[in-house]
Amino acid sequence: MLLALFFVGPALWALYSSLTNLALVGIDAANPRFVGLDNYTRLFADPDFWTVIRNSVTFVVGSAVIGQFGLGLALALLIDHAEHRRWWLGTLAYGAVLLAWVNPTLIAGFLWVAMYDFFFGSLNHVFLSSLGASSVDWIGSFPMPAVIVANIWRGTAFTMIIFLGALKTIPPDIYEAARIDGANAWRRFWDHTLPSLRPIAALALLSITMSTFGTFIVIQTLTNGGPGNATEVIALFAFHTAFKSFSIGYGSAIAVVMLGLNFAFAIAYLRWSRARA
Amino acid sequence: MARVEYDDVSKRFPTQDRPAVDHLGLDVANGEFLVLLGPSGCGKTTALRMLAGLEYPDSGDILIDGRSVVRLEPKDRDVALVFQSYALYPHMSVRDNIQYPLRVRKQLTAMERLSKVDRVADLLGIRQLLPRRPAQLSGGEQQRVALARAIVREPRVFLMDEPLSNLDAKLRTHTRTELKALQKQLGVTTIFVTHDQAEAMTMGDRIAVLDAGKLQQLGTPDNVYQRPANLFVAQFIGSPPMNIVDARRDGGALVLTGGWRVEAPRGLAGSDGIKVGLRPESIDLERAPASGAQPAEVLVSEPLGSEVIVNVKLGDALLKIRTGPDVRPDPGTPVYLRARPGGVRVFDASSGAALN
Amino acid sequence: MTTRAASRVARTAAAPRGASWIEALAVHAVFVLVVVFFLVPFLWLFTAAFDADAVAYIRFPAAPTLNNFVRIFTEHDFGRALLNSVFVAGSTMVLDVIAVALAGYSLSRLEWRFKSWITYAVLLLQTMPLSATMVPIYGLARALGLRNSYAGLILIHAAIELPFLVWLMKNFFDNVPRYLEEAAWLDGRSKLRALAEIVLPVARNGIGVVAGLAFLAAWAEVLMMIILIDSQDLKTVPLAFYETLRTQGGYTEVQYGLVAAMGVLYAVPVMALFLMTRRMMVRGLVASSRGL
Repeated sequence: MLLALFFVGPALWALYSSLTNLALVGIDAANPRFVGLDNYTRLFADPDFWTVIRNSVTFVVGSAVIGQFGLGLALALLIDHAEHRRWWLGTLAYGAVLLAWVNPTLIAGFLWVAMYDFFFGSLNHVFLSSLGASSVDWIGSFPMPAVIVANIWRGTAFTMIIFLGALKTIPPDIYEAARIDGANAWRRFWDHTLPSLRPIAALALLSITMSTFGTFIVIQTLTNGGPGNATEVIALFAFHTAFKSFSIGYGSAIAVVMLGLNFAFAIAYLRWSRARA
Repeated sequence: MARVEYDDVSKRFPTQDRPAVDHLGLDVANGEFLVLLGPSGCGKTTALRMLAGLEYPDSGDILIDGRSVVRLEPKDRDVALVFQSYALYPHMSVRDNIQYPLRVRKQLTAMERLSKVDRVADLLGIRQLLPRRPAQLSGGEQQRVALARAIVREPRVFLMDEPLSNLDAKLRTHTRTELKALQKQLGVTTIFVTHDQAEAMTMGDRIAVLDAGKLQQLGTPDNVYQRPANLFVAQFIGSPPMNIVDARRDGGALVLTGGWRVEAPRGLAGSDGIKVGLRPESIDLERAPASGAQPAEVLVSEPLGSEVIVNVKLGDALLKIRTGPDVRPDPGTPVYLRARPGGVRVFDASSGAALN
Repeated sequence: MTTRAASRVARTAAAPRGASWIEALAVHAVFVLVVVFFLVPFLWLFTAAFDADAVAYIRFPAAPTLNNFVRIFTEHDFGRALLNSVFVAGSTMVLDVIAVALAGYSLSRLEWRFKSWITYAVLLLQTMPLSATMVPIYGLARALGLRNSYAGLILIHAAIELPFLVWLMKNFFDNVPRYLEEAAWLDGRSKLRALAEIVLPVARNGIGVVAGLAFLAAWAEVLMMIILIDSQDLKTVPLAFYETLRTQGGYTEVQYGLVAAMGVLYAVPVMALFLMTRRMMVRGLVASSRGL
């Protein structure tokens, strides 16, 4: 009887989660129009769709790969370095980055709305004018970079934490041996630190790519896909088509595509991490 | 091939009360195999690391071939260190591990480097391991790779930090002899740290015994064993350890616990509180009473195959005596002890210093 | 010997070890930039919230006031939104902790036929971004009549977080040595009691982390709120935000003061919680990425 209790627990949640995801199939099938694969063919023919894909890729590359991953790595290295020398500013930086991440996503969105606002935003009003430059319409003229920066602000902590953890697992003996063997600081970094991080770096990259792929809130609050559809990423696209235009079927098709892509990534991720372990 | 000197070196770590190394003075001759021996925390590893350049002395100087090296980076000192944990680079193959020090110095071409690596690998018998990764090797193999990495550089000094302590007992004794032979063959000045006194005795040309950061005695294994400079050395070296008992002087004799009278060694300096040390093999055991032999009672006999250690109670002291394999008295048997004259060592009870 | 030593004392005492000052300067400069970049938006949040005529850029309010806070409660029913958010988040946390504790324990300890399948599925589910599933969830919720209901909100939120939290909990349970329970079983405790009395207290940290994360996730959730709620009764904080924007119409009309005040109330609990349980949180999050 007790064992049954234990079975119930996992069974329940398995039911939940699978429902929320497999419901997709149900929705598609229950679509009143029963158009089958029509939605998909229409989707792939739609030029907007490809724009959206391109946007998404740009966004992910800019935000996740260069920004969050690169910055996270750089920060982790610097903070680790600082920790060895007991520079407290490093700990402060660590806390600051973390703070940006812990807060609800919505806050991140709004804070950057305030920063970017054309007439009164902090960036223009406080910083640029004190430097003597004129205001820039960030969101209007540079929508993608603006959104990317905001997302980097929010998301860097994740990779930073991962890399910091990985850095701590490198045995310090290695560095001492390298010092005695004759390697200077730069060589030690290049020959030992980076290669040791490589396995975890791959995982982190995959992970952050996957999650950035689905960013929604930050972009929605800042630009809502605009101007035009300059920053419309796939998540927004699905949302708009499904709820604004009320073509649920079409929206579901997009969601399926998203899930499919995500699935592919996830498989790669799991395969890789299994191989590593 | 170099002389090494420690000149009044001291170091204290900020978190500790007493110095890790306390005015250490040591000379190592060219090509010598010197062992730094002592219990954990005695400062031997710190002393070694200071020579390597991984720690800096608070005061004093360290010289190689007469030139001070304390201001030099480890890489400029031309010393090689074999770590207790081996510290092999896990992400590189064994071959890359070994050639790393050569690659960093950029003096040789790739061809020259690889041939050196091959030669060293042959020397240590690890040629077939070259393409593998450290994680795939056994402890003994990893240790050889660490050695190879140190040897390939042809440094002036070899430093070894308890390299054998992670090996199982059988491999350890085997590797001991190999290492010693290797060192003789290469002729490089070597400083070897260990807490195992048997290791020190078998391997060292000379042994430096340390305790609490201070040098207790510096001498050949023979010296250190037969003529320990103080109580610490006497009890640290030798297995089973030297028997130490309280005693007092009585004319030309020493009276030990239990009333055992022993002839005092000649030229003994006078002092009140003394302790007397007798090695297990310096006491003769007789089954029958004889004049001059002290009676005592057997507690237990420990047969070890080629010899027997007889534990004997005398007064309130427990003595261990080494005898031949056929002497195996039962508990409770009375036996009669006689001390061999050359084996009596006398120590000052308060300072521990040897008095003869 | 002694004279040599004495003359050397002075020299060796100044052992060169620290970093060059250029290096220190460069690294510190980078850190300053980082801190500025990451903290400046918060600066706005806290100054604007207390400013009666708040604008989008950072400035110290000429006349600091709590008026903004008052207004959000009176004019925009923020109190209700806050209460709703707390309730939903809290319930989700409770629900999740119970489910996760059971599920995590089973995954960690028990052996059953489909275990590896389930584990794999959990991992897979963990990686799904929310935005991909929002459409089907909408459909599902509508079909089940879960829209605009507390039950719906709580259930859906709980389900969202489940895979990740189960994984986390499993890891925590893995770290509890088996022999503790075995000792309890030998003493005569039933499995369930052993779980409650022995394992759970030891895994207390893990449960804390899971609870905290569950609460946080539900507190911060926006997407699901948008999709699932229409009615005013039920709105939670994120929706209150959106409302403030909408009713003012157009970007330049945004009442920044109000938004900032809302933001402060929304974010401060999180930050406070974070500051207090920093280590635990980070450890939990690291464990999630490392757990694979």
